[in-house]
Amino acid sequence: MSDADVKTWFSQNIEGCLDSLYGLAMRLTRNGADAEDLVSESVAKAWSAIGTLDERDRFRPWLFRILHNCYISDYRKKSVRPVAYSYDDFSEEGEEDDITALLIKQSADFLTWWGNPEREFANKLLREDILSAIEKLPEAFRVAVLLVNAEGLSYDEAAEVLGVPPGTIRSRMKRGRTLLQKALWEHALEAGLVTGNEMKGYKP
Amino acid sequence: MKSGNDKPGIEEIDCMEAINGLYAYLDGEMKDPETLAKFEHHLEHCQSCYSRTQLETALGQLINKSAKDTAPEKLQTRLKKLIQGL
Repeated sequence: MSDADVKTWFSQNIEGCLDSLYGLAMRLTRNGADAEDLVSESVAKAWSAIGTLDERDRFRPWLFRILHNCYISDYRKKSVRPVAYSYDDFSEEGEEDDITALLIKQSADFLTWWGNPEREFANKLLREDILSAIEKLPEAFRVAVLLVNAEGLSYDEAAEVLGVPPGTIRSRMKRGRTLLQKALWEHALEAGLVTGNEMKGYKP
Repeated sequence: MKSGNDKPGIEEIDCMEAINGLYAYLDGEMKDPETLAKFEHHLEHCQSCYSRTQLETALGQLINKSAKDTAPEKLQTRLKKLIQGL
Protein backbone atom coordinates (compact mmCIF):
# COMPACT_ATOMS: atom_id res chain seq x y z
CA MET A 1 0.00 0.00 0.00
CA SER A 2 1.40 3.40 -0.97
CA ASP A 3 1.72 6.24 1.56
CA ALA A 4 -1.21 7.98 -0.11
CA ASP A 5 -3.32 4.84 0.21
CA VAL A 6 -2.39 4.50 3.89
CA LYS A 7 -3.41 8.09 4.48
CA THR A 8 -6.73 7.59 2.70
CA TRP A 9 -7.35 4.42 4.73
CA PHE A 10 -6.43 6.26 7.94
CA SER A 11 -8.68 9.20 7.12
CA GLN A 12 -11.65 6.95 6.35
CA ASN A 13 -11.21 5.01 9.58
CA ILE A 14 -10.89 8.17 11.63
CA GLU A 15 -14.12 9.40 10.07
CA GLY A 16 -15.80 6.11 10.98
CA CYS A 17 -14.67 6.37 14.61
CA LEU A 18 -15.10 10.10 15.06
CA ASP A 19 -18.40 10.19 16.94
CA SER A 20 -17.17 7.45 19.29
CA LEU A 21 -13.85 9.24 19.84
CA TYR A 22 -15.59 12.52 20.54
CA GLY A 23 -18.10 10.82 22.85
CA LEU A 24 -15.38 9.19 24.91
CA ALA A 25 -13.39 12.43 24.99
CA MET A 26 -16.49 14.28 26.19
CA ARG A 27 -17.13 11.78 28.96
CA LEU A 28 -13.48 12.02 30.03
CA THR A 29 -12.94 15.77 29.86
CA ARG A 30 -16.57 16.88 30.27
CA ASN A 31 -15.71 19.92 28.24
CA GLY A 32 -16.41 20.41 24.53
CA ALA A 33 -13.29 22.44 23.76
CA ASP A 34 -11.02 20.03 25.64
CA ALA A 35 -12.71 17.06 23.99
CA GLU A 36 -12.06 18.50 20.53
CA ASP A 37 -8.43 19.22 21.40
CA LEU A 38 -8.03 15.72 22.84
CA VAL A 39 -9.44 14.10 19.71
CA SER A 40 -7.24 16.22 17.43
CA GLU A 41 -4.12 15.47 19.45
CA SER A 42 -4.97 11.77 19.48
CA VAL A 43 -5.47 11.68 15.72
CA ALA A 44 -2.11 13.39 15.15
CA LYS A 45 -0.41 10.92 17.52
CA ALA A 46 -2.17 7.99 15.89
CA TRP A 47 -0.84 8.99 12.48
CA SER A 48 2.69 9.32 13.78
CA ALA A 49 2.37 5.86 15.38
CA ILE A 50 0.58 4.19 12.46
CA GLY A 51 3.56 1.88 11.95
CA THR A 52 2.86 0.29 15.35
CA LEU A 53 -0.60 -0.86 14.32
CA ASP A 54 -0.02 -4.54 13.64
CA GLU A 55 -3.55 -5.62 12.83
CA ARG A 56 -5.73 -3.22 10.92
CA ASP A 57 -8.95 -4.68 12.25
CA ARG A 58 -7.76 -3.59 15.72
CA PHE A 59 -7.75 0.06 14.63
CA ARG A 60 -10.59 1.08 16.97
CA PRO A 61 -9.15 -0.22 20.27
CA TRP A 62 -5.70 0.97 19.18
CA LEU A 63 -7.07 4.48 18.59
CA PHE A 64 -9.04 4.49 21.86
CA ARG A 65 -5.86 3.52 23.67
CA ILE A 66 -4.00 6.47 22.16
CA LEU A 67 -6.82 8.81 23.15
CA HIS A 68 -6.92 7.42 26.68
CA ASN A 69 -3.15 7.76 27.05
CA CYS A 70 -3.31 11.35 25.76
CA TYR A 71 -6.03 12.09 28.29
CA ILE A 72 -3.99 10.65 31.17
CA SER A 73 -0.81 12.47 30.25
CA ASP A 74 -2.22 15.84 29.20
CA TYR A 75 -5.79 16.40 30.36
CA ARG A 76 -6.60 14.52 33.54
CA LYS A 77 -4.86 17.02 35.80
CA LYS A 78 -7.14 19.86 34.76
CA SER A 79 -10.34 17.87 34.51
CA VAL A 80 -12.58 18.78 37.42
CA ARG A 81 -15.52 16.56 38.12
CA PRO A 82 -17.62 15.51 41.07
CA VAL A 83 -16.67 12.18 42.54
CA ALA A 84 -19.56 10.59 44.36
CA TYR A 85 -17.75 7.51 45.53
CA SER A 86 -14.36 7.03 47.01
CA TYR A 87 -12.28 4.57 45.07
CA ASP A 88 -11.35 3.06 48.43
CA ASP A 89 -14.98 2.39 49.24
CA PHE A 90 -15.28 0.28 46.18
CA SER A 91 -11.80 -0.77 45.28
CA GLU A 92 -10.88 -3.40 42.74
CA GLU A 93 -9.38 -5.53 45.45
CA GLY A 94 -12.64 -6.87 46.89
CA GLU A 95 -13.49 -10.52 46.67
CA GLU A 96 -15.57 -11.61 43.69
CA ASP A 97 -18.04 -13.24 46.06
CA ASP A 98 -18.57 -9.93 47.86
CA ILE A 99 -19.57 -8.11 44.73
CA THR A 100 -21.80 -10.96 43.61
CA ALA A 101 -23.50 -10.98 47.01
CA LEU A 102 -24.05 -7.24 46.66
CA LEU A 103 -25.51 -7.70 43.20
CA ILE A 104 -27.93 -10.31 44.48
CA LYS A 105 -28.95 -8.24 47.48
CA GLN A 106 -29.42 -5.19 45.33
CA SER A 107 -31.46 -7.17 42.86
CA ALA A 108 -34.63 -7.68 44.89
CA ASP A 109 -34.99 -4.07 46.01
CA PHE A 110 -33.85 -2.68 42.70
CA LEU A 111 -36.40 -4.72 40.81
CA THR A 112 -39.15 -3.55 43.12
CA TRP A 113 -38.18 -0.01 42.34
CA TRP A 114 -37.61 -0.35 38.66
CA GLY A 115 -39.87 -3.14 37.67
CA ASN A 116 -43.41 -2.16 38.52
CA PRO A 117 -44.21 -1.57 35.76
CA GLU A 118 -40.79 -2.54 34.48
CA ARG A 119 -40.00 0.41 32.28
CA GLU A 120 -41.67 3.18 34.26
CA PHE A 121 -38.54 4.41 35.94
CA ALA A 122 -36.42 4.02 32.83
CA ASN A 123 -38.88 6.16 30.93
CA LYS A 124 -38.49 8.96 33.46
CA LEU A 125 -34.73 9.10 33.16
CA LEU A 126 -33.31 11.71 30.84
CA ARG A 127 -30.04 11.51 29.00
CA GLU A 128 -28.65 14.05 31.46
CA ASP A 129 -29.58 11.79 34.38
CA ILE A 130 -27.67 8.89 32.89
CA LEU A 131 -24.68 11.03 31.95
CA SER A 132 -24.60 12.57 35.42
CA ALA A 133 -24.55 9.09 36.98
CA ILE A 134 -21.79 7.97 34.61
CA GLU A 135 -19.73 11.04 35.45
CA LYS A 136 -19.92 10.26 39.15
CA LEU A 137 -18.23 6.91 38.66
CA PRO A 138 -14.55 6.62 39.61
CA GLU A 139 -12.56 6.91 36.41
CA ALA A 140 -11.43 3.29 36.17
CA PHE A 141 -15.01 2.04 36.27
CA ARG A 142 -16.40 4.84 34.12
CA VAL A 143 -14.00 4.19 31.27
CA ALA A 144 -14.61 0.43 31.37
CA VAL A 145 -18.39 0.94 31.28
CA LEU A 146 -18.10 3.40 28.41
CA LEU A 147 -15.79 1.24 26.32
CA VAL A 148 -17.80 -1.94 26.75
CA ASN A 149 -21.34 -0.73 27.20
CA ALA A 150 -21.37 2.39 25.06
CA GLU A 151 -18.77 1.51 22.45
CA GLY A 152 -19.38 -2.22 22.25
CA LEU A 153 -15.75 -3.24 22.75
CA SER A 154 -15.06 -6.78 23.92
CA TYR A 155 -13.34 -7.27 27.28
CA ASP A 156 -10.15 -8.14 25.38
CA GLU A 157 -10.34 -4.92 23.37
CA ALA A 158 -11.14 -2.78 26.42
CA ALA A 159 -8.23 -4.46 28.22
CA GLU A 160 -5.98 -3.53 25.30
CA VAL A 161 -7.15 0.10 25.48
CA LEU A 162 -6.48 0.39 29.20
CA GLY A 163 -3.41 -1.84 29.36
CA VAL A 164 -4.92 -4.17 31.97
CA PRO A 165 -5.81 -7.88 31.94
CA PRO A 166 -9.29 -8.84 30.62
CA GLY A 167 -10.19 -10.11 34.11
CA THR A 168 -9.77 -6.57 35.42
CA ILE A 169 -12.27 -5.32 32.85
CA ARG A 170 -14.73 -8.03 33.92
CA SER A 171 -14.34 -6.93 37.52
CA ARG A 172 -14.62 -3.22 36.69
CA MET A 173 -17.78 -3.82 34.67
CA LYS A 174 -19.45 -5.47 37.65
CA ARG A 175 -18.44 -2.80 40.09
CA GLY A 176 -19.06 0.04 37.65
CA ARG A 177 -22.57 -1.09 36.91
CA THR A 178 -23.37 -1.58 40.58
CA LEU A 179 -22.14 1.93 41.38
CA LEU A 180 -24.08 3.29 38.42
CA GLN A 181 -27.28 1.77 39.75
CA LYS A 182 -26.54 3.28 43.14
CA ALA A 183 -25.96 6.70 41.57
CA LEU A 184 -29.17 6.45 39.53
CA TRP A 185 -31.16 5.51 42.59
CA GLU A 186 -29.77 8.42 44.59
CA HIS A 187 -30.43 10.75 41.68
CA ALA A 188 -33.98 9.43 41.38
CA LEU A 189 -34.60 10.19 45.04
CA GLU A 190 -33.11 13.69 44.80
CA ALA A 191 -35.07 14.48 41.65
CA GLY A 192 -38.32 13.12 43.08
CA LEU A 193 -38.65 10.49 40.38
CA VAL A 194 -39.31 7.96 43.14
CA THR A 195 -40.44 8.51 46.73
CA GLY A 196 -38.20 5.97 48.41
CA ASN A 197 -41.17 4.04 49.78
CA GLU A 198 -40.80 1.66 46.86
CA MET A 199 -37.53 0.51 48.31
CA LYS A 200 -37.75 0.19 52.04
CA GLY A 201 -34.60 -1.47 53.15
CA TYR A 202 -32.57 -0.46 50.08
CA LYS A 203 -29.02 0.06 51.26
CA PRO A 204 -26.75 0.16 48.29
CA MET B 1 -32.85 -20.56 44.03
CA LYS B 2 -32.44 -23.69 41.95
CA SER B 3 -34.34 -23.91 38.73
CA GLY B 4 -36.44 -26.92 37.81
CA ASN B 5 -34.61 -29.10 35.35
CA ASP B 6 -36.69 -30.29 32.45
CA LYS B 7 -33.75 -30.50 30.07
CA PRO B 8 -31.78 -33.63 30.74
CA GLY B 9 -28.06 -33.11 30.39
CA ILE B 10 -28.09 -29.46 31.40
CA GLU B 11 -26.60 -29.00 34.82
CA GLU B 12 -28.54 -26.65 37.06
CA ILE B 13 -26.94 -23.52 38.46
CA ASP B 14 -28.20 -21.42 41.36
CA CYS B 15 -28.91 -17.67 41.44
CA MET B 16 -25.48 -16.88 42.86
CA GLU B 17 -23.82 -18.49 39.86
CA ALA B 18 -26.30 -16.90 37.47
CA ILE B 19 -25.78 -13.37 38.80
CA ASN B 20 -22.05 -13.95 38.81
CA GLY B 21 -22.23 -14.65 35.07
CA LEU B 22 -24.88 -12.09 34.21
CA TYR B 23 -22.61 -9.36 32.92
CA ALA B 24 -20.47 -11.74 30.92
CA TYR B 25 -23.72 -12.92 29.32
CA LEU B 26 -24.94 -9.37 28.61
CA ASP B 27 -21.57 -8.30 27.24
CA GLY B 28 -21.33 -11.24 24.87
CA GLU B 29 -18.43 -12.70 26.84
CA MET B 30 -20.08 -15.97 27.83
CA LYS B 31 -18.48 -17.93 25.03
CA ASP B 32 -18.46 -21.45 26.40
CA PRO B 33 -21.60 -23.14 24.95
CA GLU B 34 -22.11 -25.28 28.02
CA THR B 35 -21.93 -22.31 30.40
CA LEU B 36 -24.28 -20.37 28.12
CA ALA B 37 -26.78 -23.24 28.04
CA LYS B 38 -26.74 -23.50 31.85
CA PHE B 39 -27.24 -19.77 32.23
CA GLU B 40 -30.12 -19.58 29.75
CA HIS B 41 -31.71 -22.65 31.27
CA HIS B 42 -31.64 -20.92 34.66
CA LEU B 43 -33.25 -17.80 33.17
CA GLU B 44 -36.06 -19.89 31.72
CA HIS B 45 -36.95 -21.12 35.17
CA CYS B 46 -36.08 -18.27 37.53
CA GLN B 47 -38.34 -15.22 37.42
CA SER B 48 -36.03 -13.22 39.68
CA CYS B 49 -32.93 -13.70 37.52
CA TYR B 50 -34.95 -13.26 34.34
CA SER B 51 -36.27 -9.92 35.61
CA ARG B 52 -32.79 -8.92 36.70
CA THR B 53 -31.49 -9.68 33.22
CA GLN B 54 -34.28 -7.58 31.70
CA LEU B 55 -33.43 -4.73 34.05
CA GLU B 56 -29.75 -4.85 33.25
CA THR B 57 -30.48 -5.04 29.53
CA ALA B 58 -32.67 -1.95 29.72
CA LEU B 59 -30.05 -0.08 31.72
CA GLY B 60 -27.37 -1.09 29.23
CA GLN B 61 -29.49 0.21 26.37
CA LEU B 62 -30.01 3.51 28.19
CA ILE B 63 -26.28 3.90 28.77
CA ASN B 64 -25.53 3.04 25.18
CA LYS B 65 -28.04 5.55 23.86
CA SER B 66 -27.13 8.29 26.33
CA ALA B 67 -23.38 8.14 25.87
CA LYS B 68 -23.60 8.67 22.11
CA ASP B 69 -22.41 12.00 20.79
CA THR B 70 -22.09 13.48 17.36
CA ALA B 71 -18.79 15.17 16.66
CA PRO B 72 -19.32 18.87 15.93
CA GLU B 73 -18.88 19.95 12.33
CA LYS B 74 -16.00 22.25 13.25
CA LEU B 75 -14.11 19.24 14.66
CA GLN B 76 -14.73 17.31 11.46
CA THR B 77 -13.36 20.25 9.45
CA ARG B 78 -10.41 20.62 11.80
CA LEU B 79 -9.51 16.94 11.45
CA LYS B 80 -9.80 16.99 7.67
CA LYS B 81 -7.31 19.87 7.57
CA LEU B 82 -5.09 18.12 10.09
CA ILE B 83 -4.99 14.87 8.14
CA GLN B 84 -4.40 16.69 4.84
CA GLY B 85 -1.38 18.36 6.40
CA LEU B 86 0.11 15.18 7.86
